[in-house]
Amino acid sequence: METYGNESLREAFGKALIDAGKIWNNLVVLDAGTKNSTYSQKFQEVFPDRFYTPGINEPGMVGAATGMAMAGKRVVACDMSVFLHHAYAQIRAAARQGSDMHMIIAATHTGVAVGPDGGSAHDLTDLARMRLVAGFNVITPWDGRQIRSVLQVILEEKGLYYVRLNRPKVPLFLPEPAPFELGKAYKLSEGERVTIIAVGDKVYNALIASEELGKGFADVIGVSTLEPLDSDTIIASAKKTGKVITVEDHLYIGGLFEAVAGVLVQHHPTPMRRIALDRIFTTSGDPDELAEIYGVNTAAIVRMCKEFVG
Amino acid sequence: MFKIPIEELTKKAYNIRKNLIELMYRSGSGHLDTSLSLVEIWISTVYSDFFKFDPNNGAWEERDRIFLSEGHACPLQYCVNAELGYYPIDDLFNTFRQPESPFQGHTKRSLKHGFENSNGSLSIGLWHAYGHALATDRYVFCVAGDGEFQEPSSQSLLFAPFNMKPAPNFTLLLNYNRLAQDNMVDLGPIADVAALYNWQVLQVDGHSFQALGEAFQQAIKDTERPSFIVCNTTKGKGGAIEFAGKLGHHGVPPKGEEEYKAYLAGLEAGRQK
Ligand SMILES: [Mg+2]
Repeated sequence: METYGNESLREAFGKALIDAGKIWNNLVVLDAGTKNSTYSQKFQEVFPDRFYTPGINEPGMVGAATGMAMAGKRVVACDMSVFLHHAYAQIRAAARQGSDMHMIIAATHTGVAVGPDGGSAHDLTDLARMRLVAGFNVITPWDGRQIRSVLQVILEEKGLYYVRLNRPKVPLFLPEPAPFELGKAYKLSEGERVTIIAVGDKVYNALIASEELGKGFADVIGVSTLEPLDSDTIIASAKKTGKVITVEDHLYIGGLFEAVAGVLVQHHPTPMRRIALDRIFTTSGDPDELAEIYGVNTAAIVRMCKEFVG
Repeated sequence: MFKIPIEELTKKAYNIRKNLIELMYRSGSGHLDTSLSLVEIWISTVYSDFFKFDPNNGAWEERDRIFLSEGHACPLQYCVNAELGYYPIDDLFNTFRQPESPFQGHTKRSLKHGFENSNGSLSIGLWHAYGHALATDRYVFCVAGDGEFQEPSSQSLLFAPFNMKPAPNFTLLLNYNRLAQDNMVDLGPIADVAALYNWQVLQVDGHSFQALGEAFQQAIKDTERPSFIVCNTTKGKGGAIEFAGKLGHHGVPPKGEEEYKAYLAGLEAGRQK
């Protein structure tokens, strides 16, 4: 598959924010003491008067961000994902204000892809947490190019948005401009024997796995909006292949696997397997090494497809 | 100082207290004692001469804003906004705390009704208000409870002007009635701490229109710092005399006719003073 270099989702987001800042002069950005990790610092360098931080104070950051959105600003609140646990009450309170505002939360360090900082820093439950907050759209971009399209859409349309980013450099593989429609899942390759559904940068792994499995083997569906989930596309593919595997750098609880299972069990019960983490705390290591240890890499997808299809 | 004379404000305070007692007695639930302690504070804010709003156009961009952070005091907000003409008081009495009513058990944001923020869980609304103040040039007042300041993220708001950005258009009104749900509250040197973190700190009798009005004028005069107004109040003020300022009545409406009458008697006694 053709790629166009590597870029981390967080860095792509930081760069895209600067362009968005030029388009929307009411765009403000907040961070809770992680601006050099989230790349929100880039926005601050260009628009110092539109950048706010209460320091390492996630509840304060999300609270102030919500108040600014209520005042009509376009608001992007950035943080390393795991620290947003501190602000869960504030995230829920933001959603209770209603969706007639521009409120975006960008979480940058998710999954075991965070790497050497270890189990303390690997946020493996953010999708579950955010799916539980009524009103929030949960966005899981696949590469740096798609992030630009995501930002365009979600800064245009009022609403509450959670954007899942991550730390390491990952391949840019989408054309430019990259496709993104809110609430739409994308069929990225056609196959007959199994459906592979992935979120985030795992979509790239799913496509490589599909190439290795050979032409016509797997339907690959890329999910860039986990909530609301595009049930029609998933059901149609499950009806065709009769077998579904989900892929995510997240616990199997509350994320993509259970979202898809929830749809299928109600509309078209289908045997499923999962590429996801068990309900554990993880260890330090290099991101690729951890993906191998916890079975969330391309090789694991290929193995599971072969086993499952038989 | 105010849009109308203090004698008029005093009459309004009496009527609002009467409505509060009536509303909570009839509905059998709601936080009467907290609401009673805030009557003068809320009225003083919305009747201050500088404070602009339009009951026929709640979302008016140029309005000044009053946020309620200790959301359980929403019955007061509901009664005052009826008085201001946002909606008929009957709407409130007919649907308070009922399904899909705009008058929920804690405020649900609705600019049409003059409700700036959804609230409930403590320590969140004051950050909404502060962020809002940073994003508008209008005055933003916010009512917070003293029990609410036991929450670390309320306390962290004190740092905001110092390490985030000062919002000189922001005024925090602390309802210092020294009681929370199940405990007595002593916030110790909070006023001194706020001053060190770059707030204009004022301490007033939270039941005196004169004192509140003067403090608010001083609050808006300071164009460098936000204001932190410690309003010393009595929980249950103007209600049943034997309950006022006592633990054990948080969120408890008058039970039975006897208690109801005790509240009304307390109201009348307060009026004669
Ligand atoms: Mg109190």
